[in-house]
Amino acid sequence: MANKTYRKIITEGVFKNNPIAIQVLGICSALAVTVQLKTALVMGISLTFVTAFSNLIISILRHWIPRNIRIIVELTIIATLVIIIDQVLKAFLYDISKQLSVFVGLIITNCIVMGRAEAFALSNPPFASFLDGVGNGLGYAMILSCVGFIRELFGSGKIFGFKVVPDLFYAAGYQDMGLMVLAPGAFIVIGLLVWIQKIMTKE
Amino acid sequence: MSDPMMDKFKSVFFAVCISAVCSLAILYVSTGLKERQDKNLMTDKHKNILKAAGLVLADQTYPADRIETIYQKNIKTCYIDNTGQIFKEASKDNDRLQLYFQVKDEDIESYIIPIDTKGLWGQILGYLALEKDGSTIAGFTVYHHSETPGLGGEIERSWFQKEFVGKKIVNRENQFVSIAIAKGKAPKDLSDNYVDGISGATLTGKFLTSGLKEILKEYEPVSVKFRTGGIGKIHPQNRNAEDGK
Amino acid sequence: MVDLISIGVNSVFIGNILLAYFLGMCSFLAVSKNINTAIGLGMAVTFVLGITTPANWLLYHYVLAPSALAWAGFPGTDLSFFKFIMFIAVIAAMVQAVEMIIDRFSPSLYSALGVFLPLIAVNCAILGAALFMIERNYTLMESIVYGVGSGTGWLLAIVTMAAIRKKLRYANVPKGLDGMGISMIITGLMAMAFMLFSGITLS
Repeated sequence: MANKTYRKIITEGVFKNNPIAIQVLGICSALAVTVQLKTALVMGISLTFVTAFSNLIISILRHWIPRNIRIIVELTIIATLVIIIDQVLKAFLYDISKQLSVFVGLIITNCIVMGRAEAFALSNPPFASFLDGVGNGLGYAMILSCVGFIRELFGSGKIFGFKVVPDLFYAAGYQDMGLMVLAPGAFIVIGLLVWIQKIMTKE
Repeated sequence: MSDPMMDKFKSVFFAVCISAVCSLAILYVSTGLKERQDKNLMTDKHKNILKAAGLVLADQTYPADRIETIYQKNIKTCYIDNTGQIFKEASKDNDRLQLYFQVKDEDIESYIIPIDTKGLWGQILGYLALEKDGSTIAGFTVYHHSETPGLGGEIERSWFQKEFVGKKIVNRENQFVSIAIAKGKAPKDLSDNYVDGISGATLTGKFLTSGLKEILKEYEPVSVKFRTGGIGKIHPQNRNAEDGK
Repeated sequence: MVDLISIGVNSVFIGNILLAYFLGMCSFLAVSKNINTAIGLGMAVTFVLGITTPANWLLYHYVLAPSALAWAGFPGTDLSFFKFIMFIAVIAAMVQAVEMIIDRFSPSLYSALGVFLPLIAVNCAILGAALFMIERNYTLMESIVYGVGSGTGWLLAIVTMAAIRKKLRYANVPKGLDGMGISMIITGLMAMAFMLFSGITLS
């Protein structure tokens, strides 16, 4: 029985309640790193880590956190986790951390992290909160990877840095879509994704 | 709950505790990983120097220890003063410029100049390698910039950087003129001193052109020495001293 | 001087913090329904950016940067990994102060802006600008220009968006695309328009 509710918590985050499409939250820091699939994926995983553990910690502390300073306390915990992940990336995935530059830091202000802490972790037990964080983080990572996939495929003809568009296409006059690499491409892709998702959920 | 003083005290106490725990966690992680991060930074720097010298390929990844081996084998660090005199160490008052030599056995193949200049929107950092004739560009890399992606940001792409290879920093009379990024296509009669510009990024080109000129001018004394054949080998004494370290 | 102008122009137009770096999207989408509130929020963001960016500059260069504490007798310190948390703290404190000042001196402005000010504290544009200024090695003067410029750019973007959305009410948007979807696509088109400014020559 309990298992079923846990599964529901995760799937709600990943599909039904998907952060980007429905909650409109957390788009901010997401898009700038979606030029390549690899950076988008790492960003998504980093965010999942932060949401999951901030939810866990805040949920454990939820009976002790004084109401009047709870926002600051939440921010402190989130910021600490972000610094930790930033340091870890710098140590183990240096090249990617260089590409992510300031955007890892901006996870702090990502509305999803804060939003889940406020809406879920403050009123639910630790394990459920942890799963909620994982679910929401994964949903976000999924959208981000989707955008990253489309942008990298059409923008530079690559996936994970490997050429996938055959040379034959280029010889026949196919060209990479420069727009996809630039900022407007991200906006338009995400707009279309939202459209598709809305149509699909309606059915 | 009823006592407001008590409540306030509780909040402060909690805030202090949280801050202390978080600080400790951060401190622990960052000091623990410091060594690895510094090593990464170093390897990254070495990789960029090797890239400029053409010893590693731009679009390939190498394991860190491989980079280090190639670097140790081929690159020597040194400093020059404003007359082009070469030293092994930086001077105390820091007025010497850093320079890297690419050596093969004892012969200098090329020398590599660190580039640190302003672009349109921020710093551009990179390396420029010159052949031992003191006038031909052997390679150019950019590893940090804040130019607009897709426009000025193209300076980090290999198609742009490859254009520099084989260009000259002197004109036909062997006078120093630096290398310039053209607005659009390079003028035909001066194609030795110009590289094709990036469309839509005239200003980035302009900033980079003047920055390169300024830096190359500073290094001109040592370039002159190369041009006149004043340097060709790493001084054996220097080398031994470095090996002995 | 030319440097300052170029930083200013860039931060308003080409390197627009919202349209090129996707920062501040949350409040951008939420508040761009009405022109007046959009102007209000835009002004508040410009104001806060204008003061927090230099404040964070001072904090970074005199306390956090590697060996920045030399003036206090600690030459070997490097606290730069604390920058995320410190910047957020400065921003939150500044926003709080601004809120109190506005409340005290201009109740009418407070009733217009008051609701937005807490929102600004977690607006990623504010933290993003602070991080970009460090990343790009700006001087104090440059960081002031950059802060104000980014704010102005953000203001410009949100007001334009609000105006377009007003017209959009009479448009016949395909079902499913209305709301989020069309907003994102319009933002994409705006981003494209703003990119045209990169042809600007300054001298």
